[in-house]
Amino acid sequence: MASTFHGIETARRSLFAAQSSLNTTGHNIANTNTAGYSRQVVNLVATNPITAPGFSRHHTAGQLGTGVEAVSITRVRESFLDSQYRNENKALGQFQVRQDTLSKLEGVVNEPSQTGLRSVIAKFWNSWSDLSKDTENIDGRKVVLEQTLAMVDALNYSARQLNDLKDDLSESIEIRLKSAQSLMGTIAQLNGEIRRIEGLGDHANDLRDQRDLVTDQLSQLINVRVEEQAGGYTIFMGTRQLVAGEVATPPADVASLMEAYDAGDLNSGQLHGTIYSRDQYVESYLGELNNIATTMAFGEFEITLPKGTVLPEGTELDGVVYTGSNRILDQETVVTVKGLNGLHQLGYSLGDPSDGLPFFVFQKENGDLVTDDSAGLQGLGALNFRLNPAIAENANLIATSMRVSGAGTTGEEVINGNNSLAVLFSQMRDTRFDFDSGPDQNRNTVDAYFRSIVGQLGVQSAEATRLLNNQVIITNQVEARRQSVSGVSLDEEMANLIKFQHAYNAAARNMTVMDDTIDRIINRMGRVGL
Amino acid sequence: MTIRVTQSMMNSQMIRNITTNMTRMNKLQEQNSTGMKINRPSDDPVGITFALRYRSEIDANEQYKKNVNATLSVLEYSDTTLGQAGDILQRVRELIIKGGNGALEQTSLDAIKVEIQQNYNQMIDIANTQFNGKYLFNGELTETRPYAKTELTDAIDLGASPPVLKAYHNKTDSGKINYELSAGLTLDLGVSGNDVFGAPLDPAATPEEMAGSDNIFALLQRAYDMLDSGDSEGVADLLDQFDTRMNTILTKRAEVGARVNRVEIIADRLLDIEGNLQVSQANVEDADIAEVLMKLKMEENIYQASLSVGARIIQPSLVDFLR
Repeated sequence: MASTFHGIETARRSLFAAQSSLNTTGHNIANTNTAGYSRQVVNLVATNPITAPGFSRHHTAGQLGTGVEAVSITRVRESFLDSQYRNENKALGQFQVRQDTLSKLEGVVNEPSQTGLRSVIAKFWNSWSDLSKDTENIDGRKVVLEQTLAMVDALNYSARQLNDLKDDLSESIEIRLKSAQSLMGTIAQLNGEIRRIEGLGDHANDLRDQRDLVTDQLSQLINVRVEEQAGGYTIFMGTRQLVAGEVATPPADVASLMEAYDAGDLNSGQLHGTIYSRDQYVESYLGELNNIATTMAFGEFEITLPKGTVLPEGTELDGVVYTGSNRILDQETVVTVKGLNGLHQLGYSLGDPSDGLPFFVFQKENGDLVTDDSAGLQGLGALNFRLNPAIAENANLIATSMRVSGAGTTGEEVINGNNSLAVLFSQMRDTRFDFDSGPDQNRNTVDAYFRSIVGQLGVQSAEATRLLNNQVIITNQVEARRQSVSGVSLDEEMANLIKFQHAYNAAARNMTVMDDTIDRIINRMGRVGL
Repeated sequence: MTIRVTQSMMNSQMIRNITTNMTRMNKLQEQNSTGMKINRPSDDPVGITFALRYRSEIDANEQYKKNVNATLSVLEYSDTTLGQAGDILQRVRELIIKGGNGALEQTSLDAIKVEIQQNYNQMIDIANTQFNGKYLFNGELTETRPYAKTELTDAIDLGASPPVLKAYHNKTDSGKINYELSAGLTLDLGVSGNDVFGAPLDPAATPEEMAGSDNIFALLQRAYDMLDSGDSEGVADLLDQFDTRMNTILTKRAEVGARVNRVEIIADRLLDIEGNLQVSQANVEDADIAEVLMKLKMEENIYQASLSVGARIIQPSLVDFLR
């Protein structure tokens, strides 16, 4: 038999349930724009009905309902979408950094323009052509000097910019690593808090949202695999475990991060993209610039020396040593020369019968000047590429002539009117240099080599932009699906608000009815005739 | 298609789409303001390699044009100078005919002699012509005066330091100065003095060797000496040798003229190439402004439409309609 006050209790439960629902709706509305928030619902369950088992079962209907109970408040979320999102997000992070680096490289290359490297190299050849028309005077030499300095400066400057870019990327690796470390720490901490709260039987909805948000942020930095275990999220990067329960073991420093990178554990995300950009893109363009500098100075090429050329005493070309009377070439001779340095040393400067100086030098950090590649190309590159300082000080040391009078005698005199060397220098614009001293000979003009670099950069950058755009679309799609499940819809919340308000009002009315019936029993019954 | 759509989804989608529209407009705007459709390598990786090649070829062509102009001025100057030499020879020829007449008295021969002497000096000046401060007829020894400025009356003195020599003893340089006129093509400009004015004589040459030479300075010296000694018959005999030398100089002048023609053909070709390169470069690099503007206008319309639709869609919610 139900108690007299049964109805009041049922109505009370109803009021409380409606109130919880209203409060949760309010919470949802409040967090409409909170990042990472997933909408919450109050799960209502009818409470256990009153039954009267037994032989002397009463003559009332059993299973009398006892009202409602809000058993739990849970968030609406699909963990499958989370892992999908994190997968796409890491690729997004990776492509963002790559595309960004490549577009910065495009800025360094600065083509097409009238001020880029291509232009200064063209002006360098042109200045030699101008000089070839007036080799007896200093003015043409000054122009060659200035154009050479401009070209060398352009290479130095580009190399410096690339080095700066490398430093920036290294710094950004450190910053991103720090941020990843702190995110992992936060996840471990949240793991602990969630475990403690859920140990009491509740759902730590808002903390779980926070943990998912932090994991999302982490997934942009590195590739993560998330497993939900008893202790909370266990997070792996490749084979490395980064967070387990309340313990975070992030890569301690850049060195251990690089280990993970080399081992293939770190294979995506912004951190991977940054390391990749630094070690692949920037390094490779720096290598190409270095190759341009060292090849201009030392790269082999074939030229035809004109008839009547008098080579400096002791010159060795293709294994032939020119000395004495065979210094004078009685016919056109095809020889292999080692770079513009080698070529410049075949001639004579203005009025000085000692042979030409090396045209370019590489300045080592300790100030030493390297003028040939006998010690290898290690440490030589666009950054320390210089015009020979002796020539920079005295433009007359620029060699243009390949002929002396009285060859072999002590009174050799340079024939300044001979412009063979200047013409040869000017023709270098169409000469194929050996850009690769390996067995697979890769001969190209300087201009064509530079063009191929710019073309390659263009392809890479266009490709990176395309991949990034695709990835943005994919990531947005996954995010939209996630929002579709978990996002707060104001329309829905308003409708719910009305629904729960009505439920609350009805429960209150129910309470009033119960109150009236009891009032009837207590105050009005048993007063017959009164 | 997602089933449940929330306000924030619509919001972010609208922002995304408007950003995409803006990006496209920005691209067109850039093309419009720079007038170029390739503004960075990634705009057209293949196109930029062509663009850079055309740019380099235009730069080189520009230089070749400068070189061609310089070549032409040297050649034209040589031509003028050879013309002057021809004029002098013409005058000398007349004088020799006059002097070989045989009917003239010594005083008349002396007058002719004086004029021959002047012409000799003038011829030396021509042989020592400089262009831009460089001797024209001395090959690569552009800083050395090729012909000695000694008078006809001066005596040879081999013992002196430096030895006193006559112009017909001077050997000019045979080196050739080349100018670069286009890729792989060089042209020599020099006219060797010995080719024009005749092969040099050894300072110790015998009178017979001297008589066999058609070196113009040697001929003038002999004419002078013969006139001095009244040998008008000998003077008349010089005429044949004069004529050979005159022909040689005319041939040299014709050679220079032919070279001028060749250089002018090269100049025309460079102009043609320049035109072709500029057209090719424009095709690769330049934006079609009319097309860009059309596209820009279309993008503008799309952008405005998306803004106005967005404004209508994201504004209302159920809140606006509940009392």
